[in-house]
Amino acid sequence: MASAMSPNRSRGGPQPRCRLPTAGRIALVAAAWLTLAASGRASDHGSTDPEAAPSFVNDVVPLLTKAGCNAGACHAKAGTGQNGFRLSLLGFEPEEDHEQIVTAARGRRIDRAAPDESLLVQKATAAVPHRGGQRLAADSAGRDLLVRWIAAGAPPPHADEPRLTSLTVAPAEVVLRAGGAAALAVEAGFSDGSRRDVSGLALYESADAGRVSVDESGTIRAIGPVGRSAIMVRYGGMVSVSSALVPRDGPAPVYPEPRTFVDRHVFATLARLGIPVADECADATFLRRVSLDLTGSLPTPEQARAFLSSTAADRRDRLVDELLASAEHADFFAGKWTALLKNRRDETSDITGTFAFHAWVRDSFLTNKPFDRFVRELLAATGSVVGNPPVAWYKRVRDPKTQAEDVAQLFLGVRLQCAQCHHHPFERWSQTDHLAFTAFFAQVGRRPSGIRGEDLIFHRRGSAAAVHPRSGASIPPAPLGGPVPTITPDDDPRLALAAWITAPDNPWFARALANRTWKHFLGRGLVEPEDDLRETNPASDPLLLDALAADFVAGGHDLRRLYRTIVTSRVYQLAGRAAVAEADQGFAAYRPRRLSAEVLLDAIDRVTGSRTGFANLPAGTRAIALPDNSYTQSSPFLRVFGRPDNASVCECERNDTPSFTQSLHMLNAAGIRTKLTAADGWAARAAADARPTSALVHELTLTALSREPRPEEVLLAGTFVDAPAPSGADPATVRRERFEDLVWALLDTKEFLFNH
Amino acid sequence: MIPRAAILVLLAILAGTPPAAGQGVCLPLPRLLTLVPPGGRAGPSVDVTIGGEGLEEVERLVFSAPGITAVPRTDAEGKPVPGGYRIAIAADVPEGVYEATAMAALGISSARVFSVGSLPEQTPPAPGTGPATAVPIAVDSITNGQVTAQAIDHHAFTATAGTRLVVECAARWIDSRLTPVVVVADATGRDLVADRRGEPLVFTVPADGTYLVKVHDLAFQGGPAFFYRLVVRAVAPDAALPRHPGTRPVQACSWPPVGLPPAAPVREQEPNDTAQPQSITLPCDIEGSFQTAADVEAFEFDATAGEVWWIEVASERLGRPTDPAVVVQRRDDPGRWEDVAEPADIASPLKPSSNAYAYDGPPYDAGSADVLGRVEIKASGRHRILLRDLFGGTRAEPENVWRMVVRPAAPDFAIVAWGLHLELRNGDRAALSKPLALRRGGSVALEVAALRRDGFTGPIELVIDGLPDGVSATGLTIPEGSNRGLVVLTARDDAPRGLAHARFVGRATIAGATVERPGRVASMAWPVRDAWQEIPLPRLLADLPVSVGGNESFPITVATREPVQVVAGTTVEIPLAVERRGEFSGTTARLTVCGGPFDKAGAVEVPLTGGSATLPLDLKKLAIPPGEHTICLVGGGVTAYRPASPVAKGATTPPPAAQDIAEIIVSEPIRIQVAPAPATE
Repeated sequence: MASAMSPNRSRGGPQPRCRLPTAGRIALVAAAWLTLAASGRASDHGSTDPEAAPSFVNDVVPLLTKAGCNAGACHAKAGTGQNGFRLSLLGFEPEEDHEQIVTAARGRRIDRAAPDESLLVQKATAAVPHRGGQRLAADSAGRDLLVRWIAAGAPPPHADEPRLTSLTVAPAEVVLRAGGAAALAVEAGFSDGSRRDVSGLALYESADAGRVSVDESGTIRAIGPVGRSAIMVRYGGMVSVSSALVPRDGPAPVYPEPRTFVDRHVFATLARLGIPVADECADATFLRRVSLDLTGSLPTPEQARAFLSSTAADRRDRLVDELLASAEHADFFAGKWTALLKNRRDETSDITGTFAFHAWVRDSFLTNKPFDRFVRELLAATGSVVGNPPVAWYKRVRDPKTQAEDVAQLFLGVRLQCAQCHHHPFERWSQTDHLAFTAFFAQVGRRPSGIRGEDLIFHRRGSAAAVHPRSGASIPPAPLGGPVPTITPDDDPRLALAAWITAPDNPWFARALANRTWKHFLGRGLVEPEDDLRETNPASDPLLLDALAADFVAGGHDLRRLYRTIVTSRVYQLAGRAAVAEADQGFAAYRPRRLSAEVLLDAIDRVTGSRTGFANLPAGTRAIALPDNSYTQSSPFLRVFGRPDNASVCECERNDTPSFTQSLHMLNAAGIRTKLTAADGWAARAAADARPTSALVHELTLTALSREPRPEEVLLAGTFVDAPAPSGADPATVRRERFEDLVWALLDTKEFLFNH
Repeated sequence: MIPRAAILVLLAILAGTPPAAGQGVCLPLPRLLTLVPPGGRAGPSVDVTIGGEGLEEVERLVFSAPGITAVPRTDAEGKPVPGGYRIAIAADVPEGVYEATAMAALGISSARVFSVGSLPEQTPPAPGTGPATAVPIAVDSITNGQVTAQAIDHHAFTATAGTRLVVECAARWIDSRLTPVVVVADATGRDLVADRRGEPLVFTVPADGTYLVKVHDLAFQGGPAFFYRLVVRAVAPDAALPRHPGTRPVQACSWPPVGLPPAAPVREQEPNDTAQPQSITLPCDIEGSFQTAADVEAFEFDATAGEVWWIEVASERLGRPTDPAVVVQRRDDPGRWEDVAEPADIASPLKPSSNAYAYDGPPYDAGSADVLGRVEIKASGRHRILLRDLFGGTRAEPENVWRMVVRPAAPDFAIVAWGLHLELRNGDRAALSKPLALRRGGSVALEVAALRRDGFTGPIELVIDGLPDGVSATGLTIPEGSNRGLVVLTARDDAPRGLAHARFVGRATIAGATVERPGRVASMAWPVRDAWQEIPLPRLLADLPVSVGGNESFPITVATREPVQVVAGTTVEIPLAVERRGEFSGTTARLTVCGGPFDKAGAVEVPLTGGSATLPLDLKKLAIPPGEHTICLVGGGVTAYRPASPVAKGATTPPPAAQDIAEIIVSEPIRIQVAPAPATE
């Protein structure tokens, strides 16, 4: 599969601002250089007629790209290029590149009379000193191509020459045994119907180079553990992807009977890799897991007892429905989305806006508002922050460029940021595409309201457009790759945008949400990062992602239905302990995760029997229900455990990674000690409780871990708590302190700290 | 208009005066802030308790409706209940909001809304704090309450399946500072539906049983200022949503035009969109509502070249959270629609506040998001009016009603006044909520904004009459084309204690006839002492009570002895007499000249020690035409205030220490008769 990445044909001075090359790209360029320079073996450069003048677009630019000349670290370096020679990134602006090579610097880079002596050729072959080293061997076909092109008069791009229309790689999927290799063949199709083998000029990159390597010629090799890797192939502004599987040796595993389409897809993928799945998790594990994932809350001991004593065949499904209908579910997911929607309180007086916005999001989840409606109400919000709280988003995200980028990343999984200055290197989006998408927000009007700092948002009548910074052209609104809508000056363009985004056939909307949701429950997205859906970053299980998206659309963008589909699957209910080491490939076992900051704080409050108080909120408000970022700033616990500051549209702003600081906090923080020793806390109450210690240990374990304690745990805890008090010590005080220690120890177990 | 530079100078003066510890702003005035409960049912009496500031020696409670009266309450032993009154509401008092004021020692207080309803009411002694302690309420009743900070009030009711309930928490428009959140929950407290906009919440009962209504502030603030009236009503499935009555926004000062019938003779016929427009004939008075998301109301009509029409739309001024917009288009030969006019919003007559910390304009927007504009028909043919709600892209709320009037030019005006404010301390806006409780020898100024309609540009004479004895009002005529005027109310230094409800009107000559239009008065529901943190609550008042307290005098009077007579084009030095009755910080005050073309005259220093001063005016430079003019001087000073009452009563304890208070100083009106310059040969 390939996509068109049509070059941006606008002229003017480029204004690149971001550094794009990654380590992988630098390695790729280096590999290409080694091939072209050292081997002296030029790849087939393309022209079907060896006597014809090479095409600048179809021959020269791909050659420069393969040689790494127009990489971000070389002559496409942001702003300056190298020594005044500036090429567009990866050749996306061929007209500008031609001008740089042929006309700029008083035309000194080529010599039509003596093509061999052209500076371009001399530098590329290192015949004269070149800081970039030798890019083409002196006897290579690539060098000959350049010479022939110059000799032919260095013809510029012209409208009549064949345009690249397709790029295919074969095989689309290849199965490799450990150490095995296979060659990829890349074929380009052109608008005149011709096809050409461009395997030698294409660029290759492995998504998981530690598992499957690929060299410059397109040979892939299984060098790592069992699993799969995508191989990205790029040529002439188009991309295609091949998938390489490295299966596990051994007998074919047997899988449980699928409950849902989720199971069918996951088991089928695992079967191709030969990876068995873990056993089904225990009821207690499921109870704790699904409660934390759906509501951010530990089950109460009463809930735990009721569920664990149930013998109903559908008890897990019933539990899911109860949790989905709970207010905690709305609180938990509101916290997740208000962070992504940048609900920030930067000044004290912002409180009206942040509270109103959070409440609107929370109410949307409480009533299970269809997600397409949620997005429409957000994008096209008008009015005042109290009358229509989603307008608060337009306060936090003020300029149209950021509005467009946030919407694309959050709701479409498309990262447009690179395209604001130049053609996106890994995507098809041009600067014009970025501007056209931004133009949807061009007519957002503002005027002051009676509340300080809060604007009234309205549609400003007029023709929406963005101005191209280089050409000055007026760019009307257009969705990404979609049909250009008719928008009259009276129409709010944002409504057209919302209609396109939420349309059932939008290629990204449902998939982006499905992927984000999958990651929430399974710990890893089918696409990673979860908001970077592009053809060069394929899903680990494309069929499953498509199926989830289709089901989400068919269900009327019903979030609860999507959540239910996932958590009632066998895949979600697998045990956390994997059957084989390779289980991290696919979803063969549940991936334990540390509880997030708010969930952990609430859990600690529950177990210790104390309450954390929050400014401006009623007593008893839980951390998962906090409305804005001010509480992150005021709470050392929430900061240490990675609650986001609501500054980014990326979920990566939340840091759920365990750290040494967190360990120290659990061991030493005054806040934790205060909770453990609270006068009305669990330990104090337990010490005064007449029930036997074993009963209290049962209650504590059920509260913290949602399971009954094992006999050895009861014995160990009882021995510790009930041991005689040291001589002279107050037995009551000793008993209370021992309960405090018991609780403390429990809080520091992985079983408590992780969802598993 | 008071020049901005003058305000800055005033600020500089005040900033340069070392503030004493605890320096206040504005001399004490009676402010009636709470009335618990804030309403009652017509017919029975209701016991209330008042609270506020400066409410010493309240003589009586006064209501804006004659059918509502109050007497002080006594306890079982016959002793007066502090702040307690028994309010009798005549059975024929219509449902609505009325205003209560208290006549205290210092005079009449600021107004507080008192609602009269038709449903049974209750005022629980304490709120329910959770499902277990929820206060029982009945369907078809009103519950009065006030929320506590960081708390949620819980109420419980029972209802049968299928009942359509409307739950409304009246707050903002009954003068409460509460931004109400109403949540209907099941009996265990699990939230079901919520409204956070102050709009009625519709809840169809899913099953027989008990349900909870939770009420709290959006930002969980609370206290006596955060009162509410919770209305739970059963409503027929197809019935319109009833609403608790409320005060009117300041924007509504220009609505309705004089003579407009209460209901429009024509209703919109949905779907009247661009595909199926509704035909109308001009002139036209039509009403409807923005029923669907991104609703477009399309009305087609024939018009002839040369016709001029004025289009006025009301929706925001009807109390709806809308922003109507109108485009007039003409169909050309190919059948395309081309723009003819896009009537604008109603611009604020005065630049309103930008909500900055420093005062940069009144926080009253007498303009509106509604539409008022002129349309000239350039070519005969089929035309259409497209009416939209710029706030309505994603919502479908039939309650968002509108009314559109298309008429030939009917020049007219409306006026609205509020207390003149000068910033005496950063962030302070307390003067904006002052009652008109005059001290003897004092003058206060009202700033008046004029909204001109359909091309009316003539001068507007401002008149206040029906004042208490010893009080005079001088309206500084709003000059031709101007939108701003002042009215100065002055109490003689021997004015007796008294109260009257004054009449405020604007007078102008339109089409050769003298017309009189009622003036409206706006005030803040609560004194805003920190504009950075508080949300101002402006609204229109029902009437204009004016009083003289009688037991305190204003600390300074600036006046002229005689009317000033001067010849146009000359210069004049007006003698000012300064009578000082109190102590001031500093020796002089800088007072700025106000009054139409005299606004550019600058300022004059007057001695705070008493005595005299001279105001020089260059009539030629100011281009003052012949005729009678009235000006006043406005500025600020810091006075040492000591309450008069304890001393007057001969208290044995030492009088309280004087407190430095920054106050606005307004001179008595100065009349200037400008005679025409003698003809030169």
